[in-house]
Amino acid sequence: MGLLCVAGASGVHPQTAVTERAAEAVTMPYANMPPVAEPYGGFRKPYQQWLVEPNTLEYDGAARSEADGDVAALKTIKLGFLGPLDAVNEDSPYGIAMLHGAQMAVEEANAKGGYRGKPFELKVHDDLPLWGASSMALVAMRFEDEDWAMLGSVDSSSTHIELRVTLKLELPIMDTATNDPTVTETGIPWLMHNFPDDRQQGYALADYIFLQQHLKRIGILQVNNRYGRAGKEIFVDTARRMGHQPVVEVWYAAGSRDFSAQLKTIEASGVDGLVIWGNAAQAGMILKQMRAMGMQQPVFGSSRICAPEVATIAGAAAEGLVTISAIDPTRTDARWQEFRQRFVARFNTEPDAYAAYAYDGETLMIGAIEKAGLNRGRIMDALREYEMKEYAGVSGNAHFDYTLNNIAPVTFAQVRDGKFVYWPEQRTDWKTKSVAYAH
Amino acid sequence: MTMQAWMMRRVLVVAGWLFAAMVGVSVQSAAQTPGLYTRWINYTPANGFPTGEVFCVTVDGARVWAGTSHGLVMLEGGRVKKVFTQEDGLAGRAVMSVAVDKESGDVWVGTFGGLSRYSGGKFTNYTNMTSGLANDLVYGVAVQGQSVWVATGAGVNRLDTRTGSWSIFNETNAPFAEPWGYGISVAKEKIYFAVWGGGVLSYDLATQAWKPFTDPDGEMELVLYRNQGLIHNIVSSVSYNEETKTFWASTYFGLSGYDGRNWHNYLTKDSGLASNFINAVHSRGDEVWASTQGGLSELDTRTNTWVSYRRDAKTGRGEILVTHADGSKERIATETSVAHTYILNTDFQGDDIWVATAQGLSHGMRAVRKEQGK
Repeated sequence: MGLLCVAGASGVHPQTAVTERAAEAVTMPYANMPPVAEPYGGFRKPYQQWLVEPNTLEYDGAARSEADGDVAALKTIKLGFLGPLDAVNEDSPYGIAMLHGAQMAVEEANAKGGYRGKPFELKVHDDLPLWGASSMALVAMRFEDEDWAMLGSVDSSSTHIELRVTLKLELPIMDTATNDPTVTETGIPWLMHNFPDDRQQGYALADYIFLQQHLKRIGILQVNNRYGRAGKEIFVDTARRMGHQPVVEVWYAAGSRDFSAQLKTIEASGVDGLVIWGNAAQAGMILKQMRAMGMQQPVFGSSRICAPEVATIAGAAAEGLVTISAIDPTRTDARWQEFRQRFVARFNTEPDAYAAYAYDGETLMIGAIEKAGLNRGRIMDALREYEMKEYAGVSGNAHFDYTLNNIAPVTFAQVRDGKFVYWPEQRTDWKTKSVAYAH
Repeated sequence: MTMQAWMMRRVLVVAGWLFAAMVGVSVQSAAQTPGLYTRWINYTPANGFPTGEVFCVTVDGARVWAGTSHGLVMLEGGRVKKVFTQEDGLAGRAVMSVAVDKESGDVWVGTFGGLSRYSGGKFTNYTNMTSGLANDLVYGVAVQGQSVWVATGAGVNRLDTRTGSWSIFNETNAPFAEPWGYGISVAKEKIYFAVWGGGVLSYDLATQAWKPFTDPDGEMELVLYRNQGLIHNIVSSVSYNEETKTFWASTYFGLSGYDGRNWHNYLTKDSGLASNFINAVHSRGDEVWASTQGGLSELDTRTNTWVSYRRDAKTGRGEILVTHADGSKERIATETSVAHTYILNTDFQGDDIWVATAQGLSHGMRAVRKEQGK
C-alpha cells in the first residue's frame, strides 16, 4: 500500500453546522422569471438557488470513456423515437406531427450522406396512453435497438419516466413536445428541451391578462390530466403573486363533451375572464356552450388550444379567443417558408408546432452526433454546448438556459374572423427590471 | 480471520500510523478524523466483471451481489463466482437493486424488466403482465418479515410471500405526490420510501398510516432555509438508522437527515459533500455515506467531519479530502482508489465498504480507524 502526498490544512471552509447565508449573487433570473413571480421574492433571499449557474447539469460519469461505435460495422445510425401514434390516444395528432418532423430531419440528413456515409434510421416506439405502459421503451432503445439518442415524448409522465431511466442507461433525450417545466428541473444531464414550457406560457399569459388587459377576477378551467394539472400551476402562482388569486378553479375529465356544470360554477363566481388549460377540441366545445349560456367574458388558453379545430368546433363563439402559440406559422422568413414547402411536399399537410420543434430537435441531435461521433456521453456534451446560447430553427429562435431548456419569448394568437392571427410576446413591467444574462 | 488476512490488517495498521505521521495531522484532528479507506480493490472487466456500469451492491454475509448493466454478479472470497443474465432467467438485463431474505436466503432482484426471485438455484420472475407488480421498472426492493417491498416506476408494491398476494400503493390510495418509487429502507416499525419528485414517505406497519415528508418551500429551483425540512422532492434513496433514529434522504439537490425533531441538511457550499447530485445514501452508527456523482462522501455525525473520496482520472490514484467541523481541510493522496468518481451505491461488510461505481465495483478497507480509538 502506498500513501503518496499530502496538502496542509487550508482553514477556509465555512462552519458546517451553524450559520446560514443567503445564496451567492445570481447572474440571471431563472427561466426568464419576472421579478413579481419570484417565489418568496418579497420575503427573503433563498438560502440556495438552483439552475442558474454554469455546470447546473454537472456530470462526472463514465459515458465519455465508453468505446465509440464502430461506424464500419453498422448498417445504420439508429435514433429512437417515442410518441403517441395510435389513433385511440387523444394526443396522437401531436405525436404524428412530431414523427413527421423527425422523419423529415432524418431524411434530409440522409440525403446529405448520413453519418460518414451511413444513413440515420428512426426506430419508432408508440407511447401508449396507459400510465407507465411505455416505461420500457427507453430500455428497448438502449439495449435492443442500440440507439445513439432519442426524441420524445408528448406526455410529461412518459418523459419523466424516460428521464429516470436514462440517468442509469445514459441515452441522450431530445424533448420537443412536453410543456411540463419540471422535466428540465431535475439536474439530470441527459435531456434537452426546445418546446415552450408552462413557465413561459404562464408568465406571458399573466402579464397579458393582468397588466395589458387589466382583468382582475380570473377563473381556471383545466383538463384533469397531468397536462392540465401541472400546466396551470405557474400561471396560478404568478397570478397570486401579482395580487390576482384566481377566484375559481374547476376541472373536466379528458374527453368530456358537456361543460355546463363547470361553466355554471364559473359564472356564479363573477369572473371577468377565463383561462382554459386543455386541448383544442374541448376548448371549442367550452366556448360554444359558454357563449350559449350568455357568458361573454374573454377567454384565454394554453398552447394546445391554438389549433384550427377550436374555431371549427366553436364557430363564431371562438372570436376573440387568445392563446399562447408555440410557433407563428404566418412567419414569412425563408427558413420557415422553405421548411413549410418541403413539409407539405413530403406529407401533404401543413406543419404545426409539434412538427417544427421535432424537426429542429432531430436536426440538433444529428448535428451533435456529427460533431461528437458515436459516443453517447460526447453527444450529450455537444448538446450541452448550447447552454446560454441561441439556436435558429424552423420553429423560431430558441434560447437555451443552463438546464438546456428553451426560454425564448413565446407567441400569442387570437381568433379574428375565424382565423388565428399571431404576434410576439411583449411583456410589460418586468421587461425593464429583468437582470441581464451573464453570457 | 486467516493468517493472510491478519497480516494484511497489520500492514494496514502500520501504514495508517505512518500515514498519520507523514501528514502531520494534529492529535486532536486525528482523533476526530474517521478511519480512512486507503486501500481499494476494484472489480472491472479486466478481472472478470461483465461491465463497468455497476448500479448497486448488497452484502450477503461472505457473499457480495452487484447489479450491473449486464446482469447480476455474485462474488465470493473476493472473486467473481457467477454472472447471472437473462439467459439464466433474470427478468431484466439492467439490475438496479438486490435484497436478501435473511430467513430464507432468497435473493430478490429489482431490474429494468421486472422483479426476480433467486431461490434454490433458479429464478422466478414477476412482471406487470404476469403478477401484481405495478411496473417493470424496478428501482428498489427490500425484505421486511414475510413481505417484499418493491419500488417501481408506477408506485410501490408489497408482496406477501406466504400468500402470494400483491398490494399496490400509489397516488390513488396513499399520499404520493408522484407515483415514482425509487428506494426503500426498512425500520423496525416503519418502512421508508424515497419517491422521486414526491419526497419521502413513511408507512407505519402497525397503524398502516402513511406520512409524507416533502420540501416545505414547494419550489424546484430553490432552498428557502438551510434546515427547512426535506431539502428537495427529487429523492433518490432513503436510509433509516436505528441507532440514531434518523432517516437520511439523498436528493439531486443535497442531503437531508431527520431525527424526529430536527432536520440536518447539507450542500457542497456548507459541508464537505462531494456533489449535490446524490444517487444513494447509507447510514450506520455515526456515519452517513453519500454516493454522489462527484465522489463518495462520508459524514461523521459525531464529530461533524466529512471525508470524500475521488479518483484522479489521469493517474488512477485516490484523492481523499477531509473537511473538519472548523472548516479546515486536508488533502490526502493514496495509491489505490475507488474505481470511478461517479458513485451509485454502497454497502458494508463488517468494517469494509463495497462501492458501486460507473466503472467497476470497489472494495475499500480502512487503515487507521482502530488506532484512533473510534
